[in-house]
Amino acid sequence: MTSIGDKPLRVDDLLQRNVWDVDHRPHITVDTEKCRLCEAKPCITTCPAGCYILAGNKVVFSYEGCLECGACRLICPYNAVKWSYPLSGKGVQYRFS
Amino acid sequence: MQGLNRRFEVIVVGAGPAGLSAAYILAKKGFHVVLLERGRGVGSKQVFGGRVYSSLLERVFGSLGDAPIHRWVRRERLSIINGERMLTVEYISGGKYSFTTYLGQLASWMAGKAVEAGAIIVDEVRVDRILVEDNSVVGVESGGDTLKADVVVDAEGANRLLLEELGLVEKPRPSDMALGVKEVIKLGEEKIDERFGLRSGEGAAWILAGSVSAYTPGGGFIYTNKDSVSIGVVVSLESGGLVEEPYRLVESMRLNPLLKDIWREGDIIEYSAHLVPERSVRLIPSKLALNNFLVVGDAAGLLLNTGYTIRGVDYAAYSGYLAANAIVEAEEKYGSYSEEVLRRLYEERLKRSMVFRDIARHKAVEMIWENPTMIKQYAALLLDTLGGLYELGESTPSLRETFKNARRKNKVSLIRVMADLVHGVMKA
Ligand SMILES: Cc1cc2nc3c(=O)[nH]c(=O)nc-3n(C[C@H](O)[C@H](O)[C@H](O)COP(=O)(O)OP(=O)(O)OC[C@H]3O[C@@H](n4cnc5c(N)ncnc54)[C@H](O)[C@@H]3O)c2cc1C
Ligand code: SF4
Repeated sequence: MTSIGDKPLRVDDLLQRNVWDVDHRPHITVDTEKCRLCEAKPCITTCPAGCYILAGNKVVFSYEGCLECGACRLICPYNAVKWSYPLSGKGVQYRFS
Repeated sequence: MQGLNRRFEVIVVGAGPAGLSAAYILAKKGFHVVLLERGRGVGSKQVFGGRVYSSLLERVFGSLGDAPIHRWVRRERLSIINGERMLTVEYISGGKYSFTTYLGQLASWMAGKAVEAGAIIVDEVRVDRILVEDNSVVGVESGGDTLKADVVVDAEGANRLLLEELGLVEKPRPSDMALGVKEVIKLGEEKIDERFGLRSGEGAAWILAGSVSAYTPGGGFIYTNKDSVSIGVVVSLESGGLVEEPYRLVESMRLNPLLKDIWREGDIIEYSAHLVPERSVRLIPSKLALNNFLVVGDAAGLLLNTGYTIRGVDYAAYSGYLAANAIVEAEEKYGSYSEEVLRRLYEERLKRSMVFRDIARHKAVEMIWENPTMIKQYAALLLDTLGGLYELGESTPSLRETFKNARRKNKVSLIRVMADLVHGVMKA
């Protein structure tokens, strides 16, 4: 058994522990034009999968590591997030939760 | 949904404990019931903390003899952590009241029972809309296909896209919901027994507050499974979002110097996240039934989080059971699933049940645990008092003196402590 060690894992390392069947169609889309108006950008610190990152002052979204929690849909102050679940059982495949 | 051309009496949406319990009871009573689940197989989208209370579950499913029970919870721990100091209260229970498991496994077990009873479960079907005609629900829509039935049970869970679309509930405010993030650490059965002081088959449930979750409203949890440990934090979503990324919170809990040796040599085998209804009372829809339509489980806001324990799975199962019985009775006695009949047979009974009354009763306790400044102040007050008692130099102060010093240091007046205590106790 490998040991996880004493350093905090990056979010990508955590996500890699899961089984995935990532869809080629994104189940969430973000109107990042709206994000320009948003000062707070709460998505960046709230998403448990680090799907929202800041590049300069722009929000960049990627759906691939999404854990389908629904938090971004609720906290986005500008309704920029068009949110749904993946189709055909795709996305994260939990086994031990 | 192609191929589903048989006519069903009941459609259940969502194969969580609520939907599966409803489907099981209905199938047992001879109803043609189909359960639609978006995930691949049952349980693949399920996340919870780790512990299930057994008594309501037994009411629904009878014996739990073949259920995927990992460990019966024997040790209940409650800790407050402040930096390098921790105060823990441990209670060793004499009986079997709750067990640990993976929710996905438990759901698969329930699905087995439902299918055995005659229910049909179709996975990989994401329901997009509840269909309404002439003010009555007539079925569901998925990927452009429609499926009709006499009655629909909504068991979609905490993320209520369907209910919002239907207009029965509004999108919740962030502060009404919490986000749970969790790591499952594989450790091996013997190491778990040893490090938690457990005998074989016995489990521990552990709730932590204070600096371990950065004083966020919410807290940490640890549950022992058979050969793994589930650890995580549940944090309330504020409108400004979380202050610290949730994965950093779990990781700092995993690496907390007071805890990390417990899972030394362990390996993270899963990382998950899910919403939890936080202010349940505010999330309960104004009506739990419409014409030909019922809402059960987390979708109905039926979850109790007291701060020291959380009951969602057994409540969900119980509400599914009540909904199924209401459908059976509505059909037998009234031959109608009108809103009036279903609200009388389901909603009124649910609201009279212990489950519902407890949710309303515990509202106040929730609030105390949710207040970060209060958690922080009390954590410091308690630990400074204990530190004063045990960390002795030349003098040996009395409890009264150390408490007084701790209050001064943390700028809490005695009146304030008394008021908070009375407030908390009275409302609880
Ligand atoms: C971090 C965390 C810790 C928790 N800890 C505990 C605990 O220790 N003990 C406890 O008792 N409870 C706990 N809970 C609460 C518990 O998980 C829930 O109360 C319970 O799972 C609710 O059951 P449900 O059937 O209503 O919903 P869910 O279990 O959420 O099931 C809903 C199902 O519906 C499916 N679905 C959703 N939308 C659609 C759609 N449109 N079409 C098709 N299918 C759909 C989902 O994929 C899912 O399978 C915890 C929750 C979280 C998030
Ligand atoms: S649903 Fe959750 S995991 Fe997915 S992008 Fe939104 S916040 Fe991140």
